[in-house]
Amino acid sequence: VVKVRPNDKDAKLKYQECHKIVKQKAFERAIASDEHKRSVVDSLDIESMTIEDEYSGPKLDGGKVTLDFMKELMQWYKEQKKLHRKCAYQTEKVTVCGDTHGQYYDLLNIFELNGLPSESNPYIFNGDFVDRGSFSVEVILTLFGFKLLYPDHFHLLRGNHETDNMNQIYGFEGEVKAKYTAQMFALFSEVFEWLPLAQCINGKVLIMHGGLFSEDGVTLDDIRKIERNRQPPDSGPMCDLLWSDPQPQNGRSVSKRGVSCQFGPDVTKSFLERNRLDYIIRSHEVKPEGYEVAHDGKCVTVFSAPNYCDQMGNKGSYIHLRGSDLRPDFHQFTAV
Amino acid sequence: MDEASDQSPLRSGGRSCGGWPMRSGERRGQRGGGGSGGRPSLARSMAAAAREPLSASGLDEADEAVRGTCEDASVCKRFAVSVGYWKDPYIQYFVRQAKERKAPEINRGYYARVHGVSYLIQAFLKKTDCNCQIVNLGAGMDTLFWRLKDENLLPRKYFEVDFPMIVARKIHNIKSKPPLSKPIMESHSGDSLLIDSHSLDSSRYSLVGADLRFSSDLEEKLKKHNLDTHLPTLLIAECVLVYMTPQQSANLLKWAASTFPVAMFINYEQVNMTDRFGQIMIENLQRRQCNLAGVEVCRSLDSQKERLLLNGWETAHAIDMMKVYSFLPQADVKRIEGLEFLDEKELFEQLMQHYCICWASKDNSNLGLANITF
Repeated sequence: VVKVRPNDKDAKLKYQECHKIVKQKAFERAIASDEHKRSVVDSLDIESMTIEDEYSGPKLDGGKVTLDFMKELMQWYKEQKKLHRKCAYQTEKVTVCGDTHGQYYDLLNIFELNGLPSESNPYIFNGDFVDRGSFSVEVILTLFGFKLLYPDHFHLLRGNHETDNMNQIYGFEGEVKAKYTAQMFALFSEVFEWLPLAQCINGKVLIMHGGLFSEDGVTLDDIRKIERNRQPPDSGPMCDLLWSDPQPQNGRSVSKRGVSCQFGPDVTKSFLERNRLDYIIRSHEVKPEGYEVAHDGKCVTVFSAPNYCDQMGNKGSYIHLRGSDLRPDFHQFTAV
Repeated sequence: MDEASDQSPLRSGGRSCGGWPMRSGERRGQRGGGGSGGRPSLARSMAAAAREPLSASGLDEADEAVRGTCEDASVCKRFAVSVGYWKDPYIQYFVRQAKERKAPEINRGYYARVHGVSYLIQAFLKKTDCNCQIVNLGAGMDTLFWRLKDENLLPRKYFEVDFPMIVARKIHNIKSKPPLSKPIMESHSGDSLLIDSHSLDSSRYSLVGADLRFSSDLEEKLKKHNLDTHLPTLLIAECVLVYMTPQQSANLLKWAASTFPVAMFINYEQVNMTDRFGQIMIENLQRRQCNLAGVEVCRSLDSQKERLLLNGWETAHAIDMMKVYSFLPQADVKRIEGLEFLDEKELFEQLMQHYCICWASKDNSNLGLANITF
C-alpha cells in the first residue's frame, strides 16, 4: 500500500530532489547527436549474425548483461579467449512508454513486466505523466527519482499535461496541494517547463508527445532552437509538438481538440524525408490496443495508461527499440 | 458510503446513476497487486448485476448503496454550479462542497442532463399551462421546486418521493435553512404545514418517504398528500429505475400509466450498456456493492422505448445524451464549453452515448403531449 502522505522528512527530501532536477534540466538541451556523422550502428546488422555451434564462450541472456555473464566473461578472458563478436556488438534495447496519467499501479506493472530502469534497461516516457489518475504525485516522483538515478538512461519528454492549464483542471494541481503545498506545485510547474519536447533515437526515430507541425518545412534544428522553458503558446511548433494528432487523409485539418492541427500521411512523409528520419513515435491519444501504426508505418502511437480513466477499457502498451534495426516491437498489457 | 463521494458521473441533484465512480486507481489501492488477467465476460457481468434474490441484509446493503448515490449526484451538481455551468442558489443548502474538482466531461454531462430534462419539463408545463402536477420519483436533494418557484412556473402541486432516510435528511435541511423553508411557506395557503420526520405536506410542495417498489403504498401516501389523479401529471425518474429489477420498474411504470389518464413520464438513465464501457461500469459499481439490477432494460434505445410502450404508455421516445447535447441552445453550449477546456472529446462522447433521456405520454385529453420533443 502506497503511503500517500509521506512524513515531513520524506516530503523535504523529495523537494530537494525536485530542486536537483530543475538544475539538471537547465543544463539539458534538446536532442540528437550529430546527425551528419554516419553512424556505425546503422551499418551493423546484429540480429542476423549467427553464433557457430563450436563457440563455447559466454553468451548474453536474452541480450541482457547479467552477473553470471560477467563472471563467465572474466574467466573466458583470463583464459585469453575471445568473446563472440555478436555479444560484443549487442546493443541494448530502449523501452518507449506513452501516457501514464497518474495511474501508479499500472506504472508499477510496467516495471514488473519489463524490468526496473537501469543502464541496461533504459526508458523513455513520452509525456502526460500526471492528471486524470489519482496517483499523479506518486508517478511523477517515481519518474523523477529514476531520472536522477540514471540520467543518461531514463528520459522524460513533455506532454500537454505537463502544463499549468491542464494541471489546474485535470487533477494534478489539486492533488499536489492536498498532499503537499501550493509551493510544491509551483516547483513542479517550473520543472515541467524544462522537460524536452522531443528526442531522436540514433538519428532515425523522432519521439514527441503530440505530433507534427501546422506548417511545412520544420527541421530538427528548428526544434532544437525552440525556447521551451515556458508554458506552451496557443500555436506554433512548441504547441504542435505537444498537441497535434495524425489523421488518415492527406493534408492538414483543424484539430477536434480545438488547438493545434491534425496532420496527414503526406505531412509525415515530407517531414521525415526532410530530416532523414525513418518514422515518428508519439502518444497523446488513447487507443483500444494501447498502440496504433498509421501513415504507412511512419507514425506510431504508444499509450501506456490501460483502462484510461476507469472508463475506456483500453489496453496499454510500450515499445522496444533495438539499436540494430529500430523497428518498433510492441508489448501490450491490461490494467491491474 | 464515503468512497462513493466525489467520484461519480452524471448524477443529478436527485439520484446518481452510479456509474462513474473511481477515476483511475482508487480501487486498485484496495486490491493490491496482481495479475492483470482479463475482465469477466460481459454476460456474466450483466447477469451478476441483475442477480436476485438478495437476503434481507443484502437488500439493506444494496438500498444503502443506492441512497449513497444521492449525495454523489448533488456534490457533482454543486461543483458544476460553482464553476458556472448553470445557476442554482439552493443546492449549496443540501450538500457539502466537493473535496476535489470534477472532470470537465462530468460537468458537461450534468449540464446536458439538467437542461435536457428541464426542457421537457418546461414543455409539459407550457402545454398544461401549469394546471398540472409534478411527481419527482427518487428526487433526492433535487432543487427543482425552488427554481420553478423563482420562475413563476410552479405546477398546482409538486411532489417528491424518496427513501424515508433521504426524505428525513431533506426535511431537516429545509427546516434549518430559511432560503429553503421560506419559499415553501410563501407558496403555502390555508392550514398549517404538516411536517413530521418522514413527510412534509404544504399546498404546493410535498415530500413523501416511500419505497418505489411498492406502488400501492406509494399511491396511498401520495393521496394522503392530496394527489389529484385527474390532473395532468408529469412523473420524473432520474437514475432511479436502473436500481430496480425490470419487473419492479415495469410495475411502477404500469402503475403510473393506469393511475393518471393524462400523463407524461421522463426517465433519465443508462443506455447502450452491452459494450465494454457498460461492462466496466457494472463492475466498478459492483465493487461498491451497488447493483444495477435493471441494467438489462438499458440495453439500447429501443429497449428503453419498448419498456415504456409495453407498460401502458401510448407514445415513447428515447435519445442518447450526445443527441440531447446537440439539441440544446447552442449559444449557451458554447458558453459552457468555454468554462473548462476539454482536452479530449472521446471520454465525453463515450460517456454521453451511454446515457439517455426517454419520455412517454398518454393523453386522453388531447393536450398534445405526444408532440413534445426536442
